[in-house]
Amino acid sequence: MPVSVKNDYPSEADETLVKWAQQGDTEAFEQLVFRHRDKIYARALMMMRNEDQALEYSQEAWVKSWQRLVQFQGESSFATWVTRIVINLCLDQLRRQKRVRTESIEAMEEESGGVERQLPAPETNPTAGLEQDELRRRIDEALGKLTDAHRTVVVLHEFEGLEYKEIAKRIGISIGTVMSRLFYARRRLAFLLQSLKRERSE
Amino acid sequence: MKNTEQLLDLQAYVDGELTEERRRQVEAALPADLDAQELVSGLRQLGTLIRAYEPAATVPASREFYWSQIRRQIEAEQPKAPAASAALGWLRWLIPAMGVAAVAVVVSTQQTPREITLAGGGDVTVVDVSSTVFRSESDGVTVHWIQ
Repeated sequence: MPVSVKNDYPSEADETLVKWAQQGDTEAFEQLVFRHRDKIYARALMMMRNEDQALEYSQEAWVKSWQRLVQFQGESSFATWVTRIVINLCLDQLRRQKRVRTESIEAMEEESGGVERQLPAPETNPTAGLEQDELRRRIDEALGKLTDAHRTVVVLHEFEGLEYKEIAKRIGISIGTVMSRLFYARRRLAFLLQSLKRERSE
Repeated sequence: MKNTEQLLDLQAYVDGELTEERRRQVEAALPADLDAQELVSGLRQLGTLIRAYEPAATVPASREFYWSQIRRQIEAEQPKAPAASAALGWLRWLIPAMGVAAVAVVVSTQQTPREITLAGGGDVTVVDVSSTVFRSESDGVTVHWIQ
């Protein structure tokens, strides 16, 4: 175990820090936490839309990742692996609160095809002219206006790159529902971003 | 206007979720379908946009505070010292073994049939605490009494 020599943790690669942490080096693990904590917290916040819960689940994800560290074989990056852990924690919580499977009026409209009549097709470059930080903020706002069920499929598909069947499995819904929710969510996002553009030009 | 199935099909095309055969069919039909082209282009643009500007956030706590809470939980759930673990390992085997032995003793003492000769020529056999057998040789009957 590399504890007898004072390591230069900040300059080490994730792979090295993971190897050390797997041998019980908590300082190496702390460095990994410090390096990726914002990303993990941001993902939890995007899922839960609540700062306290995001903080709690992101910390829980780090504890779980420490406990399961021996299982990490490097098939993905370490950050991706921890991100999956925090997403699973958030999904468990959303499921417990029935926030991802509950049918709503919106979902019924979506299933009946109402969405196509109500919302425009995504417009090319609806946010032209916005500053980058402003753009991030506006996209975050738009994501926040989606239901938990719709936002979850967007997060899993767009940001985590999961396939339909994997999303269906994780949430416990059919592939058809994944497709339908994703389509609805995208159109609504496009609509919201267009609205923001209109607000800006007025 | 396209129906829901057609729209979801185009979305699946954009997401690379169609079978090879279906993908070729969609690509063959696209040049003649302006609505479909517009939808495909819009979906691609939106995906590119939100992935490029993925909302970010910063942990609303200092590094020390954030880490201290994680470390406390990690330390609370650390495995016991090896010596203690070894002792616990023996206990893990010992306790169930003692339980099995105790049950065996109780069962063997309770299930030993005991015969009681009754006045009048009958025998009562006590099989266990909850059942009694009465056998009368003279009447040629056996009665099982279960409590």
